[in-house]
Amino acid sequence: MKDELAGALAAEEAAIWAYGLIGVHLPNQGEQNRARAAEDAHRVLRDDLVEQVAALKASTSPTPAGYELPFPVEDRAGALKLAIHIEDGVAQAWRVVLPVTEGTARTDALAAMTASAVRATRWRRIAAVTPLALAFPGRPEA
Amino acid sequence: MLTDVVRMTTRRRMLQATGAMVGAVTLSGCGLFDDDPEPAPEPDALQPVLDEAVALAAAYDRVALLQPAMAETLSTLAGNHRQHATELARVIGTTVPSAAPSASAATGGDDTVAGLKKAEQSGQRTAVAACKAAPAERAMLVGSIAAGRATHIEALR
Repeated sequence: MKDELAGALAAEEAAIWAYGLIGVHLPNQGEQNRARAAEDAHRVLRDDLVEQVAALKASTSPTPAGYELPFPVEDRAGALKLAIHIEDGVAQAWRVVLPVTEGTARTDALAAMTASAVRATRWRRIAAVTPLALAFPGRPEA
Repeated sequence: MLTDVVRMTTRRRMLQATGAMVGAVTLSGCGLFDDDPEPAPEPDALQPVLDEAVALAAAYDRVALLQPAMAETLSTLAGNHRQHATELARVIGTTVPSAAPSASAATGGDDTVAGLKKAEQSGQRTAVAACKAAPAERAMLVGSIAAGRATHIEALR
């Protein structure tokens, strides 16, 4: 379980970092607000995970000095694409927590996974990307 | 005289034998229904999730006919439910049921986008509960289906 939670923590850290960049490239106030709300949600989950991982006495990998972007982000289109990419990634990281947890812990992991999947669909709708909804959110694409 | 006795005895025996056979038939006939039933297989815990996926796909098809402007989105989401049904049937070890009997159950007859959203919410609750109760090897599939139903509500906004 340590590895899976550490993976979720890494994904949440990456999301927080990415939303800082995404916000810069969103010209529209409403979209910026959505990005900020998403970043806040990821911070809550991150803080929670830091405690859980510490309780398991798992060694947290040091925060990397910098993240590499999967593609250049220079405008609104790139920012929206990154937001979709990052939320899909967070959903994937939480999905593998499901089989190693039970009861409330599993329901919490599913809630975090679902929140990211729903945000990914919302960003797809805003970016007019189809399909709006993946068949199996959190499943890595083959 | 002797032959008559023999004949009567034989006849009585035959009647007894027939009676015994009738009894046996009756007993085994009863047994089919009460005494010795094949234990009805427990329905799989994921069967309700599968039935909902089939009913939801059918509901999207109906609404798509009534809302041509949204037909593309609706048919994508219907396709997601069909993929869910296929995988659930595989995991359960059954076939995808026909939509006919429970087709209108998903929306309760409310074949509108609002009706679909309500049906997705209810379906999400079923899938979340099923994910919580599922053995580890099924948790990811059912979790993805629960999350998928939630994203459908967002896609219908």
